[in-house]
Amino acid sequence: MESLKEDLKKHIIEQLNLEDLQVSDIDDDAPLFSADGVGLDSIDALELIVLMEKFYGIQVTNPDEGKEAFLTINTMADYIEKKRI
Amino acid sequence: MTYIGAEEIISPLGQNIKENFQAVRENRSGISLIPKAGFNKEDIHLAKIISLTEENKFEYLLIEILNKLSQQIDTSVISSAKTLIIISSTKGDLDRNISNPFEPAIGALAKRFNLKNQPLIVSNACISGVLAINAANNFIKIGLHEHVIVIGCDVISAFVLYGFQSLFAVSALPCLPFDKNRSGITLGEGCSAVVISNTKEIFKNSPLELLSGTSANDANHISGPSRTGEGLYRTIKKTLEQNNVSANEIDFISAHGTATVFNDEMEAIAFDRLNMSDIPLNSLKGYFGHTLGAAGVTETAISMQMMRNNLLVKSLGYSETGTSKILNIATENRSSELNTILKTASGFGGCNASLVVRKL
Amino acid sequence: MSFITAYCQISEVTCSVNGNVVVQKNEQSVDTWFKQLYKELALEYPKFYKMDMLAQAGFLGSEFIKKGYPDLIPSYSDDEIALLFANSESSADTDIRFRDSYQDRKSPSPSLFVYTLPNIVLGELAIRNKFYGENMFAVFPKFAPDFFLQYGNIMLASGAKAVLAGWLGILEGRVEVSVFLIEENNGDGLPFNKENIIQCAGWGDQA
Repeated sequence: MESLKEDLKKHIIEQLNLEDLQVSDIDDDAPLFSADGVGLDSIDALELIVLMEKFYGIQVTNPDEGKEAFLTINTMADYIEKKRI
Repeated sequence: MTYIGAEEIISPLGQNIKENFQAVRENRSGISLIPKAGFNKEDIHLAKIISLTEENKFEYLLIEILNKLSQQIDTSVISSAKTLIIISSTKGDLDRNISNPFEPAIGALAKRFNLKNQPLIVSNACISGVLAINAANNFIKIGLHEHVIVIGCDVISAFVLYGFQSLFAVSALPCLPFDKNRSGITLGEGCSAVVISNTKEIFKNSPLELLSGTSANDANHISGPSRTGEGLYRTIKKTLEQNNVSANEIDFISAHGTATVFNDEMEAIAFDRLNMSDIPLNSLKGYFGHTLGAAGVTETAISMQMMRNNLLVKSLGYSETGTSKILNIATENRSSELNTILKTASGFGGCNASLVVRKL
Repeated sequence: MSFITAYCQISEVTCSVNGNVVVQKNEQSVDTWFKQLYKELALEYPKFYKMDMLAQAGFLGSEFIKKGYPDLIPSYSDDEIALLFANSESSADTDIRFRDSYQDRKSPSPSLFVYTLPNIVLGELAIRNKFYGENMFAVFPKFAPDFFLQYGNIMLASGAKAVLAGWLGILEGRVEVSVFLIEENNGDGLPFNKENIIQCAGWGDQA
């Protein structure tokens, strides 16, 4: 689970062009979409959907499903564990 | 005074303005289900010109529209040194040459019609059409040109469709502007044109008056509309103030109404802030789909036809209110004295534009 | 009377402000040229990294102008600075990248798609500076000084008090960028005419 979270952070940083961020800068429970957390926006949320498919083979067909799952690294990791083949 | 007239349209609803307005009057939609068009080969609703099989669609449409338009104005205008052509388009001939999407078609157009001035291409997302008409007006008022022909043109491509699909912005059903159940856009293609001039006599049918329009940015997000409708609010306010037109002189609003949840909500908020929510309003995207660079010109052209016929046309796809501020959306055709109309547009990049057309 | 009061030119290897080179590309650096320019500006604006090259070009040009002219934005109200930009390839640089993103059975990238319109750079400048004024993005086969002169003057005559203008030639590594500021004032700067537009902002042959 720990390496899943670390890989996830690496993928997010790369896919979302979070260039000045390191893996160690993202806390597992930091709110991804809050300005106090990682500060992602609505386009980032859609890129996370692409990322789910690209790296984990998970098809998110409805962006609202993503909203729930993508709250923090922890919730994303749980979601991946549940959903991936 | 600046005149606007000679409106023409080529779309799934017809090959000329007469056919197009007849279809709109009959509330017929140009949207159909196109098999396997989507990224995952799913069937997608599109307003596609099925009969258009030419290889270079964009170039073909530009030439065709100018041919049609030439029947409606003095024959010397198109190739006059006092005439500028403005093309409004978001992606041009993208599939023909991705690195050079405009020049080959524009070059062909210039040669075919012996154009004396380098055409200006306005590529400003979905407000391009309204922006181009405003630019035309500006060029004429400042005396740089006497006639400006504005052509709006965009064709459907996998590139654009897949892009909107990646944003989850494409409706599974034909789009429902302002409706409670709306869920995204229906892409369309088309080519339309209007002539703007300082000379009434060049028009075979009497023109209308074009008042100066404006644009304003939301300064908020590059793809999501402002939650307060700030840019749209500002452009409409500026357009009305600059022409000394009050909101209650507007008989009808041709809104942008793309049928995404956020866009239509944003427009409702802006119109409400301006105390314009009681003014009869429609979106034409239920008829034509969202034709991007052509939208502002096509929808202005149909609005002009509505004025000429004193016919307020129903907003196709709308049945139940779906915005937090309630608008006066036309639910059926009805006769109405339409003397002064407002056209608005909003687009990616946070841009918004508006113009006013008035009967002489 | 209007004047060009500041200008920035960016090529593949140099960045100049008002005619003087301020940054030369460091070929040894691991950072891209545009990242080097961003770091030179010492800004805290992570949105920069999400922008495509076209938007970054407009952003960098305008930030270098602002750096030398800190009073610029506060001197005007929020809709008095109009944006007037053009190029000859539209958003082709990003269009190519977006198209690549969905070929070979990969999924189309939404963050690339939103930049496949050339006017997005105007949105980025508006967001950064809280500009609520007029926008226009045009496409020409070659650098078009007449267009900047005519439409710049039109914008100034219709309510803008200043125009931030630019030519953003970006395609597959080619960088021919200029951003310039036109203001109505008492005589500081170069008179806003065709010759000076070419001098401050011209690239290659003119239209």
